[in-house]
Amino acid sequence: MSVALPQIHMQQLMLRYPTGKTAISGVTLDIPQGQFVYLVGESGAGKSSLMRMLYGGVRPSSGRLMVQGSDMRRAGDAKVRELRRHTGIIFQDHRLLFARTVFENVALPLRVQGWKTERLVPRVRKVLAYVGLADRLWSYPEALSGGEQQRVAIARAMTANPAMIIADEPTGNLDIDTARRVLDYLTDLNRQGTTIIMATHDLHLLESHPGRVVELHAGRLIADSYSAQPKSDT
Amino acid sequence: MKQRLFHKREPGREQIPEQMNPRLPGGFHLPPFGVHQLLAVIIVCIALWAIGVIWLSMQAASQWVGSWQDDIRIHVYLDPQGADKGRETALKQQLAEIDQIASVRRIPPEEAARWMQQWLKDAALSEHELAARLPITFELTLSDQESEFLFDDIRDVAEAAGAQVNEDEVGLAQAHHWIAQADYLAWFASLILALAMALIISNTLRMTLLARADEIHLMRLMGAKEWFVRMPFILEGMVLGAGAGVAAWLLLWPMVWVTGGWFAAMEIDVNNWLLLLPLLFGGALVGALGALVATANVVASEAGS
Repeated sequence: MSVALPQIHMQQLMLRYPTGKTAISGVTLDIPQGQFVYLVGESGAGKSSLMRMLYGGVRPSSGRLMVQGSDMRRAGDAKVRELRRHTGIIFQDHRLLFARTVFENVALPLRVQGWKTERLVPRVRKVLAYVGLADRLWSYPEALSGGEQQRVAIARAMTANPAMIIADEPTGNLDIDTARRVLDYLTDLNRQGTTIIMATHDLHLLESHPGRVVELHAGRLIADSYSAQPKSDT
Repeated sequence: MKQRLFHKREPGREQIPEQMNPRLPGGFHLPPFGVHQLLAVIIVCIALWAIGVIWLSMQAASQWVGSWQDDIRIHVYLDPQGADKGRETALKQQLAEIDQIASVRRIPPEEAARWMQQWLKDAALSEHELAARLPITFELTLSDQESEFLFDDIRDVAEAAGAQVNEDEVGLAQAHHWIAQADYLAWFASLILALAMALIISNTLRMTLLARADEIHLMRLMGAKEWFVRMPFILEGMVLGAGAGVAAWLLLWPMVWVTGGWFAAMEIDVNNWLLLLPLLFGGALVGALGALVATANVVASEAGS
């Protein structure tokens, strides 16, 4: 029986910023395709830095980081670009473009990949229908509630059918019920095979939406377990 | 195994509502025009108009000089006092030996006196007395007045014989030299104005880039290629420059019409159509240059994101 390579492989991973601050230190971790991974830890623990490394936002200082088969220390610009095209990113402040319609926001990843406008409309409508916003295609984000805006951000992240979604505290600005609904969508996407890596401070969500919990402290990996399930043998 | 959620065959193409005009960023899509762009067009238009005026003036000056320059004759005067026949003949021969002089004619005293009488408009002078007082005059017809050392050679020969050259005529004959100098100045002024225009467009686009920094950052995070991000701004720069070029060309027409009568009197016919393509493509070129400068910094700063 062959063993599939993990989608993300970290070995003694270290990230030191030019300022001298060490954000990540000696992290060794494997994430297989299709896992739902929560990154938890206090502010400054290194969650965002770790996620930035996953999409080539910053390069590791030492150690090894393989993402979807690419060595992120040595990957060229073209490789990083290719990786980003297969990665959905969701931000805490969702970073929607308020001067553009919901359609234009959600279509952006496909537009970057060269899709023509005519092909974009049905695809974007379909993705928005999935997050329950099909009727808001031509609305502007400012006309939407916070939860709807975050759902648009989820739609934008999933529209290119990425293999992996990186979500940096996507529920940080939402109330509990809305946060749960947002997480429902992410969990559903995960069930369909998308790897989800989500940084969060909302530990109560870990009970309602179980997954693998990776805890960082001062840039170091201090715990790796599964929420609402018996502790794993890792 | 990851299921492909949206890879099923797409349904029939959906129409975009008429009131909607999606403005998708990147690639060959032009960004929206605003007041900054309009101001840039006006400023660049003024600069291009100035360039157009300079080159129309050069066109007019070249035609004006060309209209009379071929008819110029240079006169060399020899004082009759103490000038024997041998000196006069030697001077004529030496002048004729200069390569760029087509012919040397000794003007008879009577012809010179008659011309002087006409020029002084019946001053009631005795033509005979006038002829006796006028210097011995040689009229030189030039074959190549643009030759570099021609006038120095004429002066050297004249000085050696104790004669004088009419320097006013030399100055007119050398007008092509001043036109050539003005030509260099026109190119220099055009270059400086082109750089200024490129900077204006660059600054305008930089403001647009700053306003759209989030969008550019997002596109880079989504794997957009550098030229995909830069292309709309380069197109915008080219459209701004080309638009300003056409506007400047249109604004040259009133000037051509106003000066038309004056130029016609001098037998000058300036052709404004000759400036259309240079202004159009020149404007587009400086626009593209400005856009390249503006986007180079932004893309470089995005490279590490």
